[in-house]
Amino acid sequence: MSLDELLRHPALWRAREPGEAAGRPGLPTGFAALDRCLPGSGWPSRGLVEILADRTGIGELSLLLPVLARLCAGEHEAGWLAWISPPHPPYAPALAACGIDIGRILVVRAPPAEWAMEQALRSGACSAVLGWAACRDRQSLRRLQLAAEQSDCLAVLFRRLRDGTEPSPAVLRIALASGRDGLEVRILKSRGGRAVSVRLGWIGATSPAQAH
Amino acid sequence: MAPPGQPRVPDVPLSDTPAPDPSVRRPPRPQTASGGGRRRDADGPAVATAVARELWLAVHLPHYLLESLQMRATIADGSAMPGEAGPVVVVDFARGGKTLCDCDPRAAASGIVPGMALNSALALEPGLRVVSREPRRERALLDAVAAVAQEFTPRISLAPPDGVLLEVRGSLRLFGGARSLCDRLRERLQALGLDPRLALTPAPLASLWFARAGSEVALRRPDALPVRLAPVPLTVTRWPARTLQALATLGVRAVGDCLRLPRDGFARRFEPRLRLELDRALGRAPDPRANFIAAERCVLRRDLEPEIADTGRLRQALEPLLAELCTYLQGRGAAVESLELRLLHREAPETRLRLRFAAPVAVAGRIALLLQERLARTDLPEPVRAVRLRSGALVEAREEAGDLFARDRRRAAAVPQLVERLRARLGAEAVHGLCLVPEHRPEAAQKNGNLLVPAPASARAQANSEESGARPLAPRPVWLLAVPQPLEGDDPPRYEGPLELEDGPERIESGWWDGSDVRRDYYVARTPAGVRLWIFRERRAAGGWFLHGVFG
Repeated sequence: MSLDELLRHPALWRAREPGEAAGRPGLPTGFAALDRCLPGSGWPSRGLVEILADRTGIGELSLLLPVLARLCAGEHEAGWLAWISPPHPPYAPALAACGIDIGRILVVRAPPAEWAMEQALRSGACSAVLGWAACRDRQSLRRLQLAAEQSDCLAVLFRRLRDGTEPSPAVLRIALASGRDGLEVRILKSRGGRAVSVRLGWIGATSPAQAH
Repeated sequence: MAPPGQPRVPDVPLSDTPAPDPSVRRPPRPQTASGGGRRRDADGPAVATAVARELWLAVHLPHYLLESLQMRATIADGSAMPGEAGPVVVVDFARGGKTLCDCDPRAAASGIVPGMALNSALALEPGLRVVSREPRRERALLDAVAAVAQEFTPRISLAPPDGVLLEVRGSLRLFGGARSLCDRLRERLQALGLDPRLALTPAPLASLWFARAGSEVALRRPDALPVRLAPVPLTVTRWPARTLQALATLGVRAVGDCLRLPRDGFARRFEPRLRLELDRALGRAPDPRANFIAAERCVLRRDLEPEIADTGRLRQALEPLLAELCTYLQGRGAAVESLELRLLHREAPETRLRLRFAAPVAVAGRIALLLQERLARTDLPEPVRAVRLRSGALVEAREEAGDLFARDRRRAAAVPQLVERLRARLGAEAVHGLCLVPEHRPEAAQKNGNLLVPAPASARAQANSEESGARPLAPRPVWLLAVPQPLEGDDPPRYEGPLELEDGPERIESGWWDGSDVRRDYYVARTPAGVRLWIFRERRAAGGWFLHGVFG
């Protein structure tokens, strides 16, 4: 067991590091308005994040692309990006254009998405695990949250909006809605933070062609 | 010389006293230097000063083509020689089979020589039996020789196609000297029906050259090499024919002539590699050789009493078997890439499970994890009576050096394990990577890639900068539908309401050469619900609007 592994043990609390409650530094989302609303000024680096949206394509991935690109850019921490049972095949040219390292993407088409997600989280090989799963039973959600808590990895679970009414052990739950003037991010639950709404406008809408 | 992945033999300085430099012109030594008297060096009392630290015994099989085929015959029908019916010649059918590669003594007696056209040979000897060489048998012959050689030393290296090298410095005492060792090895090889040439020198390449030249020397002092190698013809070096011809026009036909040429000029006129080979043959340059590892397998069997019908209990029963396998592997410093497990039943045909690992494993825990996933997917037709575990070919185990803060390395090592676990349960196709293809048609611009451990960051940055040239400037959606979905309506098309075109058109017209050509105008559109879509208007005869992608 390396020292590093030992230090990651959940029962070990290091005095020099701010604890969970004190606001562990998060992974910057790339959207300043959203960063301001999240406890660690970014996505929690441990623990499950739930993103609830009823539609594929309203910007749920654009919300994550900046942080995924940042995870790839890191020299030392770079692990794999696991995509577990995505609704459609992810399109490599678009991801490459966002600065994501295509060589680090792992796509898994798994009917038991929860199982594959847990494996990916526990393996320690990934720096981000994105899963699309219904997660009907509380048990599997709790297992996922536990695995996410113990791994040093961004864990995102995409679910339906109606699942937001049920309780969940996730560290952060956000609901996405798309209105006339852009994406609205509603924070339903945020450990150590407040439940607020943020309007992000049309994110990911500026194409390189328009920028020129 | 050594392929990557094979261990490199540590370079050992060959002698303390510097050997004379052959490039310095000096009067040619009298030929008596290579006479039989010096041969006693090996068996005589060891000279304390200049005996090399390594001694390489080369086994050269001049008739390996014929011998590889004869071995098959002795195994197949028990008869000693296939050629009892008549003289045999070997040709290479894979290369047309027009010229002879080798012939047996009876064919040679009729005036047939290797290199002759087959038709000429048939004219000389109509009753000729013609067989084709089989590279697989030739390799097996070398393996068989190496297996015999393992009785004499643990350090063996193959020199394909017709040589095997043994490092015997440490074995000489045990076998009572070089001559006795050579005699015993020769006996063992002759029992296999082989006719070997043996040569022993401190440099592996020199041993090979002597053996190929047919001069069976036993030299223990590296400083004797330049003199003894001098009369050996240059053909034994197997340098390119053009080089040998060019040298012959200079009057250089033997190794000694070559050594007298100016060092720099030789390296400039011919390949520097040849200069290096000469140095290696003289024992002046290190000559690392890949170690031969015999292809072994581990086969274990266990009877189950009482019979087991439940996969969970079967897994438990297999655990001692796996532990035994891993003990076997660790004792050999080896690992396996695949395993075959046969479950024997009373009536039903046996159940076979094949486990493939993403990387060589030698740890029971990892195999057990994978086995658990496989067994969970397996239906047993009947209770299991016995199990047989058969390992794939053994490969060399590579241990990662431990590091107190090794996060990166741990992550890299965890990837193969994750992939093989997922594949064991979901099937190999369910887990894949992504790969970019420089192609204008959107559906062809990516393919499922292999999962490899990522390249270092610098290489990635370079690859990214190279790719950026091919990257389209227009936006691309994160999700691409496998098959474009037709849309209702025309101007504007509808998808859960009228679509609002935001960007476009981007015309993509390509692929006429492979039958799936594409003529489309792509637009970015937004639905009333705020979903951004990538749609196109078909420019070909059929027309119409299609949905092709979704911006995430």
